[in-house]
Amino acid sequence: MEKNAIVEKTLIIIRQVLKNEKIEWNGELTAEEINGWDSLSHMIIITELENEFKIKFKLKELNKLDNLDSLITLIQSKV
Amino acid sequence: MNFISPGFALFLSIVFLLYWFVFKKNARSQNILLLVASLFFYSLFNFLFSGLLIFSILFNFYIGKLIENTRKRTARKWLLASGLIVNLGILFCFKYFNLFSSLSFVNNFNSIPQAENIVLPLGISFYTFQVLGYIIDVYNEEINSCNDLLIFSTYVAYFPKIASGPIESAKKFLPQVAVKRNFDYALATDGMRQILWGLFTKIVVANNCASFAQPVFENHDHYPGSTLLLASFFYLFQVYCDFSGYSNIAIGISKLFGIQLSRNFNAPFFSTSIREYWQKWHITLTSWMMKYVFTPLSFSLRRFKKAGTLISIIVTFVAVGLWHGAEWTFIVFGLLHGIYFIPLMLFPKKNNDPLSHKQTFFFNLARFSKMFGLFLLIMLTCIFFGSRSLAESFGFINKIFSDSLFSSMVWPPFTSVFRTFITVLFIVILLATEGMQRPQSHELQLAHIKSPYLRRTIYIAIILVILLFGSVMHINFLYSRF
Repeated sequence: MEKNAIVEKTLIIIRQVLKNEKIEWNGELTAEEINGWDSLSHMIIITELENEFKIKFKLKELNKLDNLDSLITLIQSKV
Repeated sequence: MNFISPGFALFLSIVFLLYWFVFKKNARSQNILLLVASLFFYSLFNFLFSGLLIFSILFNFYIGKLIENTRKRTARKWLLASGLIVNLGILFCFKYFNLFSSLSFVNNFNSIPQAENIVLPLGISFYTFQVLGYIIDVYNEEINSCNDLLIFSTYVAYFPKIASGPIESAKKFLPQVAVKRNFDYALATDGMRQILWGLFTKIVVANNCASFAQPVFENHDHYPGSTLLLASFFYLFQVYCDFSGYSNIAIGISKLFGIQLSRNFNAPFFSTSIREYWQKWHITLTSWMMKYVFTPLSFSLRRFKKAGTLISIIVTFVAVGLWHGAEWTFIVFGLLHGIYFIPLMLFPKKNNDPLSHKQTFFFNLARFSKMFGLFLLIMLTCIFFGSRSLAESFGFINKIFSDSLFSSMVWPPFTSVFRTFITVLFIVILLATEGMQRPQSHELQLAHIKSPYLRRTIYIAIILVILLFGSVMHINFLYSRF
């Protein structure tokens, strides 16, 4: 799957889970910088991404994520 | 040796002078001094427990190296498991043994399962959590194991944080002590300002609140609901100002040695949701619990969606309660906080701001009423936190909601209307300062005030307030017993 398609689907999920339509894509953004993205919503986003892309993450992989770009790279490596 | 004692002031002055004038040559000599000073400081509380601290340092240093150098996955898992068992085993022996050994407490909530025969080593909950985080991070390959025993020992035993935190991650602390620290005048003076604010919150606010709250909590049967309500209000501020005061002093002291510790409180009473509150209250413990308890648990339960998240959050907050001690009151304290998350999880609100760094004040009524409602809920949990048993807690709450709530106040010994009014006034000053200073890293960071005369006047005023209105009746820090 192309990177742009992954970004688009990921952004939709993030907006839905965080209930915030104003979030714009910026690969440099970290979870702490996005309003409402905390430990609680993190796991819901992860589950939704797994369902959407039919993939399974490992906790170890999630612990190493730095920003949105690294999340996309991780998804890309699995789809 | 308490942070607020002439003995500690002398100790700190000597270590400070030696650090910057005698041991300034390189990181190694600076760390040798910090380690010797830290072990000396720790041994003053209990000499024998220094042995336990040294064992913890050595064990975790070598188990970290072993985990890193082992290639086989099963062997790594076993090494991690043994690291967890040994660390938690020691904590269990000292802190929780009596809770689990006295099974009769299940049928008798009046009994107080306390570690009567076992003395608790100072700071054991804090340093054990630090080393647990370290070995888990090494196992997860988030950090490399530390190769220098001196640096690792300084990390675990560092005296400004050994008694009551902040719970520092190895990732943040180790790089700071791996290099030589050069004297930074701005950082040191900033540290002094933070210590001053810590002294104000502890000696003036917390101790005056304690003068009212402590006698009422110890003998609540003798007081009407009106006094109990005011006492629970004061007790919440006692706990907050005692621990945030301690944290500010610890962080400030550390700045004198050129080492930055993590922020532990960030105006929690300005929160409008329980989620926001825990992001601002005992931040280092919350972060630890979220990373090492909530995340793995919710990850393994993620197929149950919201139910999995809810179970994980409740388990995490019961663990937060248990971290404080082996008492049912702490378990209920944690459970209530977990339960407070349920509406938040079931009915998530719409967000309007895409970025999280925006600071808003409480000028609008809706925001203020949310803050106030949350404050009352936290105050309720604080009754469990401050009571000696569940029976006492329920008795306390029952009385608040009885007719005696409207009867005239009974004043605890050594308190007066004037003293109580002054205490409330200082709470208002504290909250106003916190509200205004939220964008700053601490309350007395006044660089945005251009006039140096005004800044100095504020410092002198705080010193005078401490001297005139400070109370030394409850000088020990509450969290040093955890």
